[in-house]
Amino acid sequence: MIERMSRGMSRGVVLAGASALVLAVSACGDSATAPGGESEVISRVTLTLTPSAGGAALSSFIDDSDGNGPTAPGAQVGALALARGVTYTGTVKFENRLVTPAEDITAEVQKEANEHRVFYTVTNAGVTITTTDVDGQNRPLGVRFSKVVTPTASGLGTVRVLLCHYGNVAKVGTATSCTGDTDISLTFNFTIAP
Amino acid sequence: MLSSLLPRIRRLTARSLLAVALAPIGAVLAAQTTPHGTERHIHGIVEDDATGRPLANATITVQAAPRSRQTTPLMFSTRSDDKGRFDFRDLPAEVVRLRVRVLGFTPHEERVDLIDADRLITVHLTVATTVLQEVAVRADTLAERLGRVAATSTLDAAALSATRGQTLGETIKNLPGVAVIQFGPSIAKPVIRGLNSQRVLVMNAGLRQEDQQWGTEHAPNIDSFEASSVTVVRGAATVLYGADALGGVVRVDHAPVPDSGGTHGDIALNTFSNSRQGALSMSAQGADLVLPGLGTTGYRVRVTSRVAGNGGAPDYYLSNTGFRELNGSVALGVTRSWGTADVLLSRFGTELGVLKQAHVGNADDLQRAMTTPPTDSSFTYGIDRPSQQVSHTTLRTRFTFAAPKASELEVVYGLQYNHRREFDNHGPLRFRNEAAFNLKLFSNSLDLRWTHARWRGLKGTIGTSGLAQGNQTLGKAFLIPGYDLWQGAVYAQEDLALGRLSLNAGLRGDAISQTTIAFADQGIRSAAGTRTWRDFSGSFGAAYLLADGLDIALRVARAWRPPTVNERYAQGVHHGTAQYELGNAALNAERSQGVEATLRYTRPSFNLEAATYRNTIAGFMYLQPGEPVQTIRGAFPGFRYSQTDARLRGVELSGNWSPHTRLQLRLNGSAVRGLDRVNGGPLFDMPADRVSLTTRVQGRRPSVGAWFVGAGTQMVRQQDGVPEGTVYTLPTAGYALMQLEAGSTGARVLGQRLDVSLSVNNALDTRFRDYLSRYRLFVNDAGRDVVFRVTMPF
Repeated sequence: MIERMSRGMSRGVVLAGASALVLAVSACGDSATAPGGESEVISRVTLTLTPSAGGAALSSFIDDSDGNGPTAPGAQVGALALARGVTYTGTVKFENRLVTPAEDITAEVQKEANEHRVFYTVTNAGVTITTTDVDGQNRPLGVRFSKVVTPTASGLGTVRVLLCHYGNVAKVGTATSCTGDTDISLTFNFTIAP
Repeated sequence: MLSSLLPRIRRLTARSLLAVALAPIGAVLAAQTTPHGTERHIHGIVEDDATGRPLANATITVQAAPRSRQTTPLMFSTRSDDKGRFDFRDLPAEVVRLRVRVLGFTPHEERVDLIDADRLITVHLTVATTVLQEVAVRADTLAERLGRVAATSTLDAAALSATRGQTLGETIKNLPGVAVIQFGPSIAKPVIRGLNSQRVLVMNAGLRQEDQQWGTEHAPNIDSFEASSVTVVRGAATVLYGADALGGVVRVDHAPVPDSGGTHGDIALNTFSNSRQGALSMSAQGADLVLPGLGTTGYRVRVTSRVAGNGGAPDYYLSNTGFRELNGSVALGVTRSWGTADVLLSRFGTELGVLKQAHVGNADDLQRAMTTPPTDSSFTYGIDRPSQQVSHTTLRTRFTFAAPKASELEVVYGLQYNHRREFDNHGPLRFRNEAAFNLKLFSNSLDLRWTHARWRGLKGTIGTSGLAQGNQTLGKAFLIPGYDLWQGAVYAQEDLALGRLSLNAGLRGDAISQTTIAFADQGIRSAAGTRTWRDFSGSFGAAYLLADGLDIALRVARAWRPPTVNERYAQGVHHGTAQYELGNAALNAERSQGVEATLRYTRPSFNLEAATYRNTIAGFMYLQPGEPVQTIRGAFPGFRYSQTDARLRGVELSGNWSPHTRLQLRLNGSAVRGLDRVNGGPLFDMPADRVSLTTRVQGRRPSVGAWFVGAGTQMVRQQDGVPEGTVYTLPTAGYALMQLEAGSTGARVLGQRLDVSLSVNNALDTRFRDYLSRYRLFVNDAGRDVVFRVTMPF
């Protein structure tokens, strides 16, 4: 019986030895991002307003320096000093500046226009924004817009830029607010020069 | 209504228990003080000498000398109950002969001296070497001894076959003290006495299940058809199983690989009407395989497949909640004179959908999703994004070496590979097929257990356990960093049987080391570092047999748990609740002290178990609401992993009564209160109080087999213990559900044996939302479900 037990035991020892080897080799932590990770993040949103009658363009951007991280987006850089009675042609630009070279995400949004829409919400009664571009099914997209400042407008205002992504729900052309997932929600300040 | 009923039930139980407890004590005392005559008493327990397992249905006879004028000896005979206990009264005060016989064991005989006093005897039987033990349910005998002092519940093969649900969690959710956190029909995580995930250990086939269990939406990756029994241990079981078992253990046991007999097996089919699910599982096993070099080998092969579509609430479908599973396993085993050896290879694979409404952007999106009524009226088997794909592969080898005097050495090596990928609809289309989260977890474990021979009444186990684990983080979005984890432990558990008193004590020392790998990408930064924790845990329990069938058990336990990698390093939005979660690398280990008492009363047609516990956890880790987090996507409620001191208390009651052989009444009730002692508020995720009552009429007929028909109700009180600052603080309303069941075991159709059951869950199609359903922010819970189960052994 002892011989039988020791035979069994020696088999066990061999197995234990092999397992110890596997134990040592198999613990192999790692972390890396898969390709495609770069285009997930939008770290800067820039608004550019060009007077339709000609003149210097106004530009302003807001940066979120850590992308999806917890630090809040920075302050707005560049002032939007609007003039009374002027109609501006506007564009919004989405970029990922956390990689080099910086990536232009606006082109992606335009390519996948059927899944995106930019909503603009203005808080000054004298200013209105209407989007001018459409997607493949004639539903508004919003990368290009027209901003009209009435002759009697005055004071301050804000415009909230919201990029809505329709991944899980259908995009409805007549909607006035986002019914999908919000990918961007930033507020820009502007002033109306007297 | 229920809140007034519960105290009444508690009072009623306490009073009747007291009456019941006092009467037999009185009778026993009276018997012991009677002088010589014909009122001696032998009381005892029959056990398997090797495992300590109590042996039921043993035939015990006592033979006394013939009275004057009689020529035949006096014979008294009885059988041991399901806890191995037996009882003889009115014996003459002389030396009698006691014989104990059980099928498969060597008969035992001894002389018992009753001249001066009654006797309390423990009889140890050894396995008869000439009999092949087909019914040797090895399971985990350490935990069976623990079961005498701790509160445990077991679902055996017959109960599993009749109540198996869509997932493992659903199968056990009606046991006392157990609840589930649900994400629709496809994901159910066990909650034991208010604790879940990294505080509840799931064991599968004797191995710790390492399937990224820290995530609340990561359900256990186990094929519930593999289980031949499921045992839930309530309360800290860390001495035997390690730090994760702070709240309890769900142990899924497989039947041992057969060591005799030809090919046989079973085919099981379950269908669920609510999600139009079909589940088919087939297995074949035998011991007639002869392999070169190994000789006669036992084997088992199993394949399971499940296909389910969208679940349905009473008024609408839960969009994108279907799932599929394909699992398979192969086991080989040999039994020789030196012991046994077996190897198991299994794979579990699933793809499941996540409720579309639950995947939200920022806090405004969440608000909109919570207030928009669901309208999905279409059923589909298709799984769209967001979805999860998980595969879990296990390789386990086990050796047991029999040594003299019924001692044994067990060596178990396990290798597990868990691959979890989660897909969503964010990001550019050309990268849409790449996983947002892609985690690969490799775990190696080695356990050695030495069960020593009985020595001065002590029977116990000394063991050592090691785990080496590595995680790779590969997806588009960050969830947790890659890491390496090493754990080593040494433990010992001993039992001492002293007649009416059983003692159980255990001690364990663990050392755990976590090394995280630096991550810096897309603005997320996660530091590298190594941290080590060392601590011990222990438990001490005593069970005392107060009287026939009545015993009380008391247990104290000290346990601890280090923070997991996600508690230390999580960073990002949890899509289902729009919570921005932040880990805290400086978290310390949590330590718990628990005390629990269990009272059990067993009679032939009535049994009752009442348990109560109090658990204080210092350094309890949880997500504390804080300042909102602003990102370019908008505002999110911010949560950070913090520590507090917590206290959990609760009661459980379960009882079974058969006033008539054909009638069975069952009652089950649990209540938990979790308190954050620092801020005085309730803890998150505490199950609401619940009671379930079932009635069953049963009988037996020649071709129908053992049939049963029953109805029951489950009543859940409203959960108003909701902590401040969480996303949705309104109390969840209480509800009552009705279920119906009918079935039979051992029916014979065309000469083939069939076990059939039909159940209707939520028979009245009640609209409700359970507090622990994570989809309760958006949709109702599942409506009526007609479940048909048939098992055909061959």
